[in-house]
Amino acid sequence: MITLIFFLFIGGLLLLALLFMARRSSKAEGDAQVLLQARQALDALQSGLLPRELVHRIFAREDSDYVATQRSKAVEELFIGERRKIGLAWVNQVYAQVSALKRFHRSAARFYTKLSPRTELEIACHFAALTVACRALQALLYVGGPFVAPRVVAVTATAASRICTISEQSLAFLNPVQLSPAAGHSASTEG
Amino acid sequence: MTATVLPLPRRMDVQQAREDLRRRTLSEIPRPLDRLIYLASMRDYNTGFYHHDGLAARFSEEVACEALADCHREVFRQLVVCSLEDLVKQLEAYRNSTHTTPREFLTAWKRLEPYRVAVPVETDPLSAEFLFSNFKIALAILEARLHSLPQGSIA
Repeated sequence: MITLIFFLFIGGLLLLALLFMARRSSKAEGDAQVLLQARQALDALQSGLLPRELVHRIFAREDSDYVATQRSKAVEELFIGERRKIGLAWVNQVYAQVSALKRFHRSAARFYTKLSPRTELEIACHFAALTVACRALQALLYVGGPFVAPRVVAVTATAASRICTISEQSLAFLNPVQLSPAAGHSASTEG
Repeated sequence: MTATVLPLPRRMDVQQAREDLRRRTLSEIPRPLDRLIYLASMRDYNTGFYHHDGLAARFSEEVACEALADCHREVFRQLVVCSLEDLVKQLEAYRNSTHTTPREFLTAWKRLEPYRVAVPVETDPLSAEFLFSNFKIALAILEARLHSLPQGSIA
């Protein structure tokens, strides 16, 4: 009887351990997903959405002036419509990618990097400022067209860039540069 | 493009191949638009890999492919940030070099939108959409100019 109780006890412990491990692995998977999304969001922002020349070009007033010299109402309407569409797509994508970074900072960042309370507060302020700027810009683009708010565009891009800089530091441990000696070795053996 | 992974070519070789391509070939093509179309034409639609016999003979297939892809991305970036006025000029000059009539050219480009297949793989979607949008506007400008000309003056 004592042996049976002993084995039941061991079995129960094993079952608990299994449940614990299952919970842990699903959390790790979730964390990996958040990390991956944050890395992708950062890449999309830095290389796709925030380069200064691209932002300048999308909202460039000189293109509008050039189109005005063509003296064609149809071309002007097409131009305004197209730029409004691209401008809105830009704001929406910046907001979506920054939201992915926000999820990372809310859930996982503190486990991987030691952020000071001051930095966390700074990030929270940037997120808040960016949310307000994105919403304002969306409304202005709808109502006033693509060239009505260059300052709000600049504020949005600057706030997003600051969030990228902080997130870059938080995600630095994922950089492949840290693996360069091994990568160099495998490359040299390949050739 | 992502289905098959090329062997990792050495970075220095790719850099040399890129310089070679710029010096011997791309420097002969004056406008970014022409360079974009040329580089896109070097890409196999079925595999997404670039081929250039001369470059592959001097380096290797893989290195040539990487160098062409790098140059393609670079030219794309140049074109995305160029002004609308510049794009219209480039499009007009390109049209002149094709020896088609303006009407034929505009009809074909508006219907087929060949610029959509001229962008590099893994391009940021917003940049690609922005360039397509600029092409659309540039074609509309050229068309408006064509309509404003007296009938007899159209080649």
